[in-house]
Amino acid sequence: MRLFLCAIYLIIVGGLVGVLKSGAEDVFMEATRPDFQKIPIGVFGFRNGSNQDSSGEKAAEVLRADLRRSLIFSVADLPKLGIKLNGKWEKDAVDKRLAQQASEQGISVLVWGKVSAKEADLLLDGYVFDGGSGDVVADRRYIGSSSVLRHMTHRLADELVFRYTGEQGIARTKIAFVSEQNGGRELYVMDYDGNGPRQVTADGFLNLMPRWSRDRRFLIFTSYQERTKQHIDMVEVATGKRWTLISLPGLNITPALSPDGSSLAFATSQDGNSEVYKMDTNTKALQRLTFHASGDLSPSWSPTGREIVFTSDRGGGPQLFVMSADGSNVRRLTYEGDYNAAPAWSPRGNWIAHVCRTDERQYKLCLVSPDGQKRIRLTSGSGVDDSPSWSPDGRHLVFSSTGEGKSHVYMINSDGTDLERLTSGGIAHTSPAWSPM
Amino acid sequence: MRILHLTSCMAVLLGALLLVGTGCTKSIQANSGSKSFEPGAKRDVASAQKTAVPTRISKQSSPSDAIPNAVPNAALSAAPNSTPDTASSMASGATPNAASLRESPVSERATPIPSLSMLDSGPSPLNAKRSDEERIPGELLVAKTEPSDTSRRQVEEIQREHLATAAAGLEDVFFGYDSWQISNEGKQTLMLDAEWIKANPGQKVTIEGHCDERGTLAYNLVLGEKRARSVQKYLVELGIDPNRLTVVSYGKERPFCKDREEGCHQKNRRGHIAVRVQ
Repeated sequence: MRLFLCAIYLIIVGGLVGVLKSGAEDVFMEATRPDFQKIPIGVFGFRNGSNQDSSGEKAAEVLRADLRRSLIFSVADLPKLGIKLNGKWEKDAVDKRLAQQASEQGISVLVWGKVSAKEADLLLDGYVFDGGSGDVVADRRYIGSSSVLRHMTHRLADELVFRYTGEQGIARTKIAFVSEQNGGRELYVMDYDGNGPRQVTADGFLNLMPRWSRDRRFLIFTSYQERTKQHIDMVEVATGKRWTLISLPGLNITPALSPDGSSLAFATSQDGNSEVYKMDTNTKALQRLTFHASGDLSPSWSPTGREIVFTSDRGGGPQLFVMSADGSNVRRLTYEGDYNAAPAWSPRGNWIAHVCRTDERQYKLCLVSPDGQKRIRLTSGSGVDDSPSWSPDGRHLVFSSTGEGKSHVYMINSDGTDLERLTSGGIAHTSPAWSPM
Repeated sequence: MRILHLTSCMAVLLGALLLVGTGCTKSIQANSGSKSFEPGAKRDVASAQKTAVPTRISKQSSPSDAIPNAVPNAALSAAPNSTPDTASSMASGATPNAASLRESPVSERATPIPSLSMLDSGPSPLNAKRSDEERIPGELLVAKTEPSDTSRRQVEEIQREHLATAAAGLEDVFFGYDSWQISNEGKQTLMLDAEWIKANPGQKVTIEGHCDERGTLAYNLVLGEKRARSVQKYLVELGIDPNRLTVVSYGKERPFCKDREEGCHQKNRRGHIAVRVQ
């Protein structure tokens, strides 16, 4: 009897270990709930390094924008509320009386700081006060060259997001994109707020659809060699060094790294029509995932790496389908409209962003839940919206749109609010890809 | 997993039989202990790697470290162009192992592909330690880009190709919205093109598939390829050697016309026939 129980116990333990081994569940916290109460924050500003420069004002502007974009904080207009530092611009000026006054206006966090010079570098000091008690709950000092003042400020913004949510902020993330350059399409990277675009490739022909590696060192993209052969290449952003990862006959497009980086899904037409494959990034072994006489493309991984959503025109027009990462269990996800393409699975798992064609035959951004039950259209108006890519916190998307004429890169919240244009100029900017943290 | 566990269970049961019931609970503890140790150990490794991240990241801004380091394992030291090998071995059903890849010929571009499954290179831990001041590294280091030789060569090549194609009098084929069917008019055009191709056996031809600006970039690459392949198929039906025809899709990336109206869209939905310049 005892042995029998022992055996049963072992079987149960075995079963449990089996379950634990199978990986994380597809359950995530809702990212942007409509009832989410933002934390009211007041930024007094930063004292300038000297009387002449405006580094303090610049830093304050960057910080306020970062906090607003974080969607964690609502940034209060302190002067409008009559909350001002009296007399000297010093840390001590944020006193109990001022904190009490802020608290009465519902502000729970106050920030004051200063920018100062230290030899050739700049120092950015940030003090975080509790609205109410006026206690300093955090003080941070960042140092860097004067060219990285924005980055120091982004660092402070991320620190605030982390302190109040336990989540990583996105203020230091990057966006890769494609820009017209002398008739060709070249890869660029810029800050998440559109600042400081930098060119990465310069081959004068077509470089398309970049994706980041987990560590942000590399971009993986489609490139044409000798103008007639498509490859999937990888470039190291810091050095410009390039490797060819995939060069099968025909199309080699839409690369997508699995969340753990162990496999690279992509589409190739070596079988006569476009099919989704994956390559083991260690052994380079290839596995064909789709088997259909129509076009299968644009794979995007679920955050657990267990499922892949992709585009297929097996029913006529392009529609989204979901399959297991081994190609089994294919099911159609979208039924509304005759054109759904370019899927991007949210890092939180709860939405799949994609391009949907409206009744007015405009190409706009839509979200669909992975069970296909919920569908939301995020953008409206004319023009072609394309290439949605999620922020690593799952609260925003970047995408390209020709809504204002030339294609530009835009940021939008995952609930369709706060549309913000990130690129400018008279040339086309397409295919944005948001970097990991 | 469960089968493994059952066998270990059997072993435990045998042991328990030998010890006549004395150690059932003990052996369970030992067994489950060793099992739960596995994930625990993994986590230890992960956290150890995590703590190593900040140095790695701060190092990244120094140019000396910018060269991909030599971490790649045996499999990744295979030549960059070994992908077709893996493709063919996939077709034959065999999964290539590290050993077979190591034996594949190393090309002149033998730089190993850096590992993409860098599990240790996740985000740096925030709030790890408050030191007096935290240095913010320089902006994302981006290589200085100069127009490459390929860039200049391609511009020149495109010009020569235009001239050669115009001289040959080759005509393009146009398609309907979302369609890759060749119209009767298109067939007439291709018959004339085929005559020239047959009359010039020394020449090779590229068939480019193009689309209008509507729809997504990725899907238009597939659509463009379908158009180019229908042209190729028809030319082969007309008796052209398929080895003389190269198919490429440019999707909507190289439009002939950039206005946003149907006349322009129509011009961009095309199969472009071009003489290949060597």
